[in-house]
This record gives sequence, structure tokens and C-alpha cells, in this order.
Amino acid sequence: MENELKIDPKIVSEFFKFNKNIIEAPKMVPAPGEINLEMTPYDVAYTEDKVRLLHFNSPTQKQHKVPIVIAYALINRYHILDIHPQKSWVRNILTQGFDVYMIDWGTPTKIDKYLSFDDYVNGYIDNCVDFVRNEASVEKVSLQGYCTGGTLATVYAALHPNKIKNLIATAPVIDGKRDTTVVGNLAKHVDVDNMVETIGNMPPEFMYYVFSVLKPFEQGIEKYINFFRNVEDKNYVDNFLRIEKWLSETPPIPGELFKQWIRDIYQDSVLIQNNMYVGGKLVSLKNITMPIFTQVAVGDHLVSPECSMPLHYAVGSEDKTLRIYPTGHVGMIASSFSQKVVLPELGQWLKERSEK
Amino acid sequence: MATDTDYKKSLEYYKHLSLFWTDMVYLMASKPAALTSAGPMRKFAIQAKKLTTEMIEANEDLTEFNTRLAEYYKQLSDTWIEAQEKVNKKIPEIPQDMENLEASKRVWIDMFENDFTQLFDSQKFGENFGKLISSELELSKHWNSMLSTLLETANVPTKNDLDDVYKELHSLRKRVSKLEKNEGSDNDGK
Repeated sequence: MENELKIDPKIVSEFFKFNKNIIEAPKMVPAPGEINLEMTPYDVAYTEDKVRLLHFNSPTQKQHKVPIVIAYALINRYHILDIHPQKSWVRNILTQGFDVYMIDWGTPTKIDKYLSFDDYVNGYIDNCVDFVRNEASVEKVSLQGYCTGGTLATVYAALHPNKIKNLIATAPVIDGKRDTTVVGNLAKHVDVDNMVETIGNMPPEFMYYVFSVLKPFEQGIEKYINFFRNVEDKNYVDNFLRIEKWLSETPPIPGELFKQWIRDIYQDSVLIQNNMYVGGKLVSLKNITMPIFTQVAVGDHLVSPECSMPLHYAVGSEDKTLRIYPTGHVGMIASSFSQKVVLPELGQWLKERSEK
Repeated sequence: MATDTDYKKSLEYYKHLSLFWTDMVYLMASKPAALTSAGPMRKFAIQAKKLTTEMIEANEDLTEFNTRLAEYYKQLSDTWIEAQEKVNKKIPEIPQDMENLEASKRVWIDMFENDFTQLFDSQKFGENFGKLISSELELSKHWNSMLSTLLETANVPTKNDLDDVYKELHSLRKRVSKLEKNEGSDNDGK
């Protein structure tokens, strides 16, 4: 027959296998909620309101005197920095002989609507840093901030330079006007004052919407097709579910903080212009004179390199390092690549600047 | 054909008509109703005008919301059609066998991803998105306001009352934290 449809039998077989995988997936795969992240053991060293300071138990002898405090981002959970024993940022730094603390911001509720940049920077971070300085008997600590945590860490280092030995800014959100991502475009067009006045804290659902328009076909369709195609591959499934679990848990962002964030960082870009006020004090990036390591990912679709890199050029430090990695926002911190390249470089840099 | 001006004129007319009768009924009925000032109906009668106004204004904002939502889906639909046309041109060049199935999928994903990312990154999408969110917020405000009106009649705290409490608590927490810090540094100095 002339009009006979010719389909490769392998395609038909692949189609049936895919359908079989969808049906059998629940028998083979745990639900994301059932996943045990096998996190590095930690003690809760300090708490304030909903914030917890986690102190990780080191598997090796502490070799460096200066502890590192990690300010995690405000979006999703800190678990991404300890997502898998073989891809754990925290575990890697611990095994390099550093004492590691991490700030877990907790889950803000309606009562936290008025928490601002000032509360996070001059309150929570400052109290956590003071606690660690006291606990470790050191004058200064190393401070690392990831993503929006990078912005908080940067502002903190500018306002309290006497307490910071080294600053590590990993994909920090600095110059929002130059950000070329979809996040930047949406942030620039939102009436944030009206938003916060009406709904209070930024609800997780709004963040999920923003995530959904970032790589909608790769992340919204292809990722799940690949999951069902690889449902028999235990490693693939394990990695997939860990990341999915992380992606599905994001806390609300306190309204006042979100307002200042969008207005000052994305809409007016006052931080990079040294014109941002936090707690009534002017934040000048020139005050950042300690050694600084800025880590940027070329394929970052959440915080574009154009948004992060200006920090490197704006600070007052003479000892400054900028590394641009061929990976993405999450790949930079939770991947085999980060274990092989990013973390050894960071460890080496820190070792040279953290006396024994 | 009804124009936008006709629609606004008729909306204005109904707004006026509704407010006229709400005011009149209130004026005519408020004095005897004052006898029941301890009950909820008195408060409700006073606030009824607010409910009417909110509902009429919500209707206006609903029109804006629908316009923005229609534009939102139009942008998505136009982009989809454009991307699909590009894929349709490209796919026949790829042999339709198992070895090339992955390549076909890649073409589809890449072209759609590229076109949609361009859309989401564009000024026109950003502007409409911002206005869509703003119109949703306006609707939420009317809804909040109507609920507050009802809650007030029952002496239940409203969103504004709670906001005042949150603000006060925030301020108190800050003061306590400052005091604790000062006390800590005083003790260190001793």
C-alpha cells in the first residue's frame, strides 16, 4: 500500500517499554517524601526564632583554626549542600579539615512578615557569627553565602568586616539589573510593595511558578521522560529523587525582606552602586577588604554570571579570586563536577588563608 | 457593537444606582436599627455600603484581570505555534527510526525551550505578567476588604488588626534581642 505508515519496530518497542516503566515505577521507586538524604550528622549549636545554626560533626581531625559559616539561600532548603554523601558540599569541606557551620533559616510564618534585611544580616547572621567566634575562640570566621545567601553574606561582610576572615560568594545575587535570566525579568516587572502589602510573605507557590518558567521543557517535560526511561537505574533514580525532594520544599520568604530584595537588588540595583541601606547603615562594597572568592557558573539560569560577577570588581579587597565554572546553578554545588573541581579549588584557597 | 465606553458608562450607572439605594436604605433604617446597636446587624447595616462598593470595584478589576490573563495565554499560544512551525520544518530532515528518535526529541525540546525562554525573557511578557499579578492583587484586596467588613461585624480581628500585632511583635522581638545582646556584652566586660 502506498500510504502505509512505516514505523521503526524499535520505536514501538521503546514506546511499550516506556509505558511499562510508568506502570511499574511505583513498585520500584520510593516516593520523594520517603527518601532518606543521609545527611552528615550535625548538632544544633544555636537557635533564634526559627533560625538554627547547624554544626556538622567532622569525620576527620580539624586541621584549620578558622571555622566556616555557610549562609544558605532563602529559597528551598539547605539540604542541597548535603544532598548525597558522594556529592555533599558540607562533607567535602569537612574532610578537607574545616570546621563547618550552616545557617538554616527555618520556615517563616505570617508572624515573620516584618523580618527585614536588617533582621537577617545584623540579627541572625551576626548572632550566628558571634556564637561561632565565641565557640571556636577566634576573632574572625570564614563566611560563605550561596545564591541569595551570597547576597546576605556580602552585605554582612560589608557591614561587619572586622568579624570576617574570608568571604566566599557562590552564585551571589548582586546586580539584579544586569541579570539576564527569566527570574530577573519577572522581578523587574512586579509591583512588590503592593504584593507584600496584600499577601504578606512570599508564598512558596509563587516561587514554584517562577521555577516553572525556567527551562520549562527540559525541566517540566524532558526531565520526567528521562526519569521514567531510567526507572530501572538505581543511581539515576536516587539522584533524581533527592533533587526533586529538594526542589519541592521551599519556605515562604518574609514579606519585608522580599520587598527590599526585589526593589533594592533587582529593580534599583542599589547594592552594586553602594547605595543600599540596611538597618539605617549604608552598605559599601568597598568595606569588603578581606580575601574574597567569587564562584560563578556559566550555565546558571537562576542567577546569571552578569549578575554575580560585578561583586568581584566592586569590593575593596586586594586578595580577590573569581572562578567561572562550566556548569549550572546547582551543578556548581551538588555534582560530581563540584566534587572534582569546585571544592578542591575552594579548599586550597581557604587553606592558604586559614591559619592552622 | 458595545464599546468599552458603553460598558464603563453602564457600570457607572449601576454603581450609582446601587450606592443610591444603599445610602437611602441606610438613612431610612438606621435610626430604628440603632436600638439594636449591640447586635451584629447594626454593624452590618453600617458596613453594607462598603460591601456593595467593593463588589462593584472588584468587577472592574476582574475585567482587567481577564484582559491580562487572555493576553498571557495568547502569548503562550503564539509562541507555541511559532515553535511548532519551526519543529515541523526541521523534523522531516531527520530519519524517523529508533536511532534518530532521540535527535527528534532534542530538536523539539531545544526549539520550544529557546522560543519560550525568549518569550519569558521579553519586555512584553514581563510587563503583562506584572500587570496580571497586580490585577490579581487588586482582586485579593477587595476580597480581603469584604471579609474584614464581615469579621468586624462579629468583633473578630481582621487582617489589618493581625498585621498590627505582627508589627508590634516584630518590634518587641528586636528590642528583646538587643537587650539580650547588650546584657551579654555587659557580662563579658565584668
